[in-house]
Amino acid sequence: MIELKNIEKYYANKGVKSYVLRHVTTNIKQGEFVSIMGPSGAGKSSLLNILGMLEEPTYGQYEFMGEDVVSLSERKRVELYRNHIGFVFQAYHLIDEMTVAENIEAPLLYKKVPGSERKSRVADILDRFNMVAKSDLFPNQLSGGQQQLVGIARALVAHPTIILADEPTGNLQSVQALQIMDLFKKLNEEDGITIVQVTHSEVNAVYGNRTLHLLDGVVNEERNKIG
Amino acid sequence: MFKLNFKIALRNLWKNKVYTAINIGGLSIALAAFIVVLLYVTYETGYDKDVPNYDRIYQVGRNLPDHKTDYTPAPLAKVIQDNFPEVEVTGKMSTTWFEFPIQTEKGRVYSTKALLLDYKVAKMFNIRPEGKLADENDPGLQLYVPKLFFNKLFPNEQVIFPKQVSLGPKKAGQFVKLYGTIERTDEHSNIKFDVVSLSKDISFDNKDYGTNNFKTFIQVKRGANIEALQQKIDQLYKREVIKAGASANDYRIAGRSVIFLDPLKNLHLKPMAGSDTNYKIVFALFGLGILIVIIACINFTNLTIAQATKRAKEVGVRKVLGAYQLNLTYQFLAEIFMQCLLSLALGLIIAEVLLPVFNRLFGIPLSIWHGDQTLFAQLLLILIGVTVISGIYPALVLSAYKPASVLKGNMQTSYKTRWLRNSLLAAQFVIAIIFIAGLLIVNNQLKYMRAEDKGFKSSQVVFIKNIQFYNKAKDFEQARNKMMKIPGVNYVTVASDIPDGSKPGTNTYKLGEQESSIDFIDVDFDYFETLDIKLKSGRFFSRNFMADTAGSATLNESAVARYGVTNPVGKIIRGCDMDYKIVGVVKDFKAQGFEAAVEPTIYSIKNPCNNQKIKIMVNIDQRSMTAALAALKSQWPSINNLDGDDFRYEFLDELYGRLFKKQEQLQSVFFFAAMLTIFIAVLGLFAFSAFTTNNRIKEISIRKILGATDFQMFKMLNTFFIWIVLISNVIGWPLAYILAKNWLETFAYRIDIPLFPFVLAALISTVLTVLTVSIQARKAVKTSPAEALKYE
Repeated sequence: MIELKNIEKYYANKGVKSYVLRHVTTNIKQGEFVSIMGPSGAGKSSLLNILGMLEEPTYGQYEFMGEDVVSLSERKRVELYRNHIGFVFQAYHLIDEMTVAENIEAPLLYKKVPGSERKSRVADILDRFNMVAKSDLFPNQLSGGQQQLVGIARALVAHPTIILADEPTGNLQSVQALQIMDLFKKLNEEDGITIVQVTHSEVNAVYGNRTLHLLDGVVNEERNKIG
Repeated sequence: MFKLNFKIALRNLWKNKVYTAINIGGLSIALAAFIVVLLYVTYETGYDKDVPNYDRIYQVGRNLPDHKTDYTPAPLAKVIQDNFPEVEVTGKMSTTWFEFPIQTEKGRVYSTKALLLDYKVAKMFNIRPEGKLADENDPGLQLYVPKLFFNKLFPNEQVIFPKQVSLGPKKAGQFVKLYGTIERTDEHSNIKFDVVSLSKDISFDNKDYGTNNFKTFIQVKRGANIEALQQKIDQLYKREVIKAGASANDYRIAGRSVIFLDPLKNLHLKPMAGSDTNYKIVFALFGLGILIVIIACINFTNLTIAQATKRAKEVGVRKVLGAYQLNLTYQFLAEIFMQCLLSLALGLIIAEVLLPVFNRLFGIPLSIWHGDQTLFAQLLLILIGVTVISGIYPALVLSAYKPASVLKGNMQTSYKTRWLRNSLLAAQFVIAIIFIAGLLIVNNQLKYMRAEDKGFKSSQVVFIKNIQFYNKAKDFEQARNKMMKIPGVNYVTVASDIPDGSKPGTNTYKLGEQESSIDFIDVDFDYFETLDIKLKSGRFFSRNFMADTAGSATLNESAVARYGVTNPVGKIIRGCDMDYKIVGVVKDFKAQGFEAAVEPTIYSIKNPCNNQKIKIMVNIDQRSMTAALAALKSQWPSINNLDGDDFRYEFLDELYGRLFKKQEQLQSVFFFAAMLTIFIAVLGLFAFSAFTTNNRIKEISIRKILGATDFQMFKMLNTFFIWIVLISNVIGWPLAYILAKNWLETFAYRIDIPLFPFVLAALISTVLTVLTVSIQARKAVKTSPAEALKYE
């Protein structure tokens, strides 16, 4: 569903180009669970931002579900966010002034889902994540792991086809991190949701069925999980 | 969606309580000021608006060679009516200019602004008396008085109208018929009166074109061509005047247009025959109100942008959740709209509290509630305007955040808006500085006017009201002698005018070859002595010179200068068909206040073209003032044999002090404006410095670790703001100087602009800045570096 051809990204500063990504070419198929790995500054987040259309590549071709999305209009891009892409962030990025339930409900509002259906979908997902009791709490009343669960619930509630996760466990303790990764694996295997995650933990990377190793902006090796 | 956004907006406002309070507080105070100004402007521009044919009523005036007047000859109204079919109604009005009593056996009241009105004018202006209405064609005068008067004249009495009452003092009263009462609660009219006499023709068919004692009103038909009508009336007027005996070549009518038509809507604020000062004041106040609201809006914008980073994450998240930028712009605009609505509600409350103060100051009855719907329509417009002005920019900035950059975590303020915020802050201070300096300069001019030698002493002079004519010196002799016997009385005099700012008569006088129109005042012996006016050359009038009552005159310095003579004493000046011998020259004294230069004036005891000498002045020793006044009061019936019913007096210095009322109003307005603009500027500074200080907390911590002292930190945080304030001062001073200079030029006698208002404005603004910033800086400096550096 994702095709990248020769993606380049650099920042020009006083005539000197500092490259972030060079000649990145790869495909991500429906139902895959891809981990992007690499050391700090390798361009992982930039690649993910390009995948999420938050940044534009300097050169190169990017097709999302068969559509060229480089320099897509705002309207088209927002449509993709509403219907196909869910984001999960390292810092959770819940809206502090909204309760758990309201945070989860927000994407449905933009998708113009009718009120009764919104309520039932939010209730379902809270139930599924065992967070019904927390629905009226504010983010700062939750632990990090719980916040990230809300973040994932918010990404899932709109029924996306792909989840883009930027170091989803980066701020979590190891036990909570494992839970989150298990959840991702389950979502991938049972619901068939495509997942792309950025991580620099080898442990997390192996949850995926493919890993892209990035070093200084270049995809260094692609490794498919055996079995 | 809206409900949720509404909830989030409330939670956000609550979370940032201090900023919200500053935002809403500042805006609501400014809006309160604007509401008051708006009410005032609506009131001042709405005189007579409820008159049915408001747009079709005009006052007829005459354009004289040296000034314009609304006094017209008596027959003019009728000939206009007879000659021009496009004129529906014409009529006359005549005012009395002195206080007179109305009495019955039971009681006595004084009318201070009696009015004579043609029936048609009363109808035109919707003036309807109660009680028995006389026949419209009754040629006699029908008097109507307000209920208050009526109750005093006829306490507990059943009255059948018409009822006889006496006008004037007991010993010289004239009987007229009282036809009923009239209640005019609304003084929101150009036609003000306490008692009114109506008649079919208040001039009693006067055909004289020589005297101009009437004001003429016309009501034209719909769609009448006013310019053409004005020309036609002008030609008609000239024909009539010539028919009445004037020469066709008279310089007052030949080759110039005399008649003008002044629409009713202009009569209150900018009458052609009169000054447009009121209009300017209203206009200036309106400008001031708008300025204050704009400053508050700027402040609001500034504060909202300063807090924008707090909302940046939300913007980023909402965008990746599928919000359009437009959704977010609306959301922020709606939030700002809510704050503006809240500010407006608060502003209305504050305005309600402020109104009594304002009403007292300007002597008007403004009210938010009893007005018509216009205010609420205006408020709606203001609300939308304020929301757009203060909200559009922050809403656009906020909604334009790029998710990729704000979601990274450590978000830096955008550099793009920095210069804008800085200049907005500077602009607020410029305005505050102008008002501080302006207030101090107005104060200074007022102090000067109160302290400056006005050329005469008013402090121990009592002005006694009287309507008995004392035109000849010997008429007054008996009254004077009786008053002089009272202990403490130094001098007594009577004159046509007293130095209370009123304009005396003018006439043409010829000295040598020079002919000029100058003021004349008819005086009695001891006029100059009573007022302690200084003699320059020659002598004062004196009983030792028989000729003084027959043909002596005194000039003031300005008159001497006007005629350009070197030794005027002993020379002859001719006016009103008689020769006067100049016996003395007095120093100029500011009888008409500080705005106009002293007019060239001639003082004489005899004057065939006289104004009536009715104004009595008594100079009394300060120590015996109470006793002397008591004695005057008890002896008054015997002193003033014709008008001795009541002893009515005022202190001259109080009368003269009323000339400063306009300046005192201005002073109060400036005081409020200065306080308000300072307050708003400080609020803005407070939030702005809080924001920048918070943004620099990491920097401060690092510097502290590197060994900076607290004092160095204070200095560092203050420097930037002190620069802004200094720059504001540099911009504000010349502006304040120019404005002050323009204002001071409306005074013939004025101060030189001193330096200290500017220095003080600089000092006040700097001290306030340092205080405000340091409160914020202290918090930042006290924060432990470990705390501040923990999160990256």
